[in-house]
Amino acid sequence: MGFSEAQVSTSQKRVKPGKPPWPHDGKAMSKRPIPARERKFSRVLLFFEDIVKVPLFKCQRCGECILSSTAFICSQNCPKRMRNGPCGGTGENGSCEVFPDRQCVWYRIYFRSRLLHRISLLYKFNRMHNWSLEGTSSWLNVLKKRIAPPIWLVRHDVQKVKDIIADDAATEN
Amino acid sequence: MTLRQKIESNGFIVCGEITPPQSCDGDVLRARAKYFKGYVDAVNITDNQTAIVRLSSIASARILLDEGIEPIMQMTCRDRNRLAMQSDLLGAAALGIHNVLCLTGDYQTFGDQPEARGVFDLDSIQLITTVATMNNGHLLSGFEMKKAPGFLIGAAANPFAEPLEMRLIRLHKKIVAGAHFIQTQPVFDPEKFARWMERVVDLGLHEKVAILAGVMPVRSAKTLLWMKERVPGMRVRDEYIDRMNHARDPEAEGVAMAVETIQALRATRGVRGIHLMPLNWESITPTILNDAGISVAQ
Repeated sequence: MGFSEAQVSTSQKRVKPGKPPWPHDGKAMSKRPIPARERKFSRVLLFFEDIVKVPLFKCQRCGECILSSTAFICSQNCPKRMRNGPCGGTGENGSCEVFPDRQCVWYRIYFRSRLLHRISLLYKFNRMHNWSLEGTSSWLNVLKKRIAPPIWLVRHDVQKVKDIIADDAATEN
Repeated sequence: MTLRQKIESNGFIVCGEITPPQSCDGDVLRARAKYFKGYVDAVNITDNQTAIVRLSSIASARILLDEGIEPIMQMTCRDRNRLAMQSDLLGAAALGIHNVLCLTGDYQTFGDQPEARGVFDLDSIQLITTVATMNNGHLLSGFEMKKAPGFLIGAAANPFAEPLEMRLIRLHKKIVAGAHFIQTQPVFDPEKFARWMERVVDLGLHEKVAILAGVMPVRSAKTLLWMKERVPGMRVRDEYIDRMNHARDPEAEGVAMAVETIQALRATRGVRGIHLMPLNWESITPTILNDAGISVAQ
């Protein structure tokens, strides 16, 4: 599938490279908390990041930004903090099961993705959240290769979705 | 025949479901288990369903195992973080439990202790990958285990929620993550279910995973209404409620409805089996399965 090498690269020496394979990643990238010497710089960057991201995307400062794969709607506004699609409780008109007066975040993400031709990115497996990055600057985390870089452009979206499905069919056999 | 063998063969799979009691009384479970023995392939054990504290699913699953029934242990992400989940999974495997159903879990405000803190460290797809990683012989830390647990991984799907395509993407992700079988929400809207199933068959997903459709026998119109209004993600067509309201004998009508649903599902292409959920009405299981003409070869 169309995922960058960095996402599945191994960083812990205990694991044999490439095993266990994607998406069973026990080891993708660094899972350590950010070093003490970077904390102050991270806080400064976070100040500017918040100015941009909080009003625009209702950023929850998870430090592991996946906005680019969720059509620029912050998935962390979900009460269950789902990172891989909606839970089973979405109501009739896409209402949230916890707060019925709100709309399900993933319901909005789906329709925005369709509008922006970014459906193929919804197939992306978002790995387990590294909670030690909570409240740190995700811009710095990208620079320091702690998290995957954003995906800006998606070309030939419909074709890509078909490829993803075909790839899976091929690996099955 | 174990559930794994049944999935690999081409038989029609029947799963039951038992809700553990809100006490430490294991005899309640044993009494309920009696109704399933010899009638189903495996029985789901719910994990603090609707966020209400109940006997733990691991202990319940072990009790069922002692009764000679294959359990499917449900595991939700609401109550545990990734450390507790891995250790519970190892514990379950050591106790001889080999089936696990990975769920995100109902939000804690649906239960009787809404003030509790929900964990939601992982979501259900990430839980599936956790179990798959453990099956591969590794813990999430990368530590290589001496013995891999070898779980059969289940997942849930909701065919009734909108938008349909998002549901299929999620189903697809669950399959890629490593799910072996899928259990759906109870079917009270056969047309919508058929539409979802058609798309699943179009994409060829039914060949990669065994899809078990949910069937829920109900005793009264009140239960149906309660489910429609209170259970998240449930769709109940008004015809069913009307039918129950106008029935002279609601229990018999409930059985008839369940049998009709089972027969319709059996005829649907791509459905590998059913998941029967007699909520607090376990004693009806043999009647329904006999009426529907389903017998599980032991």
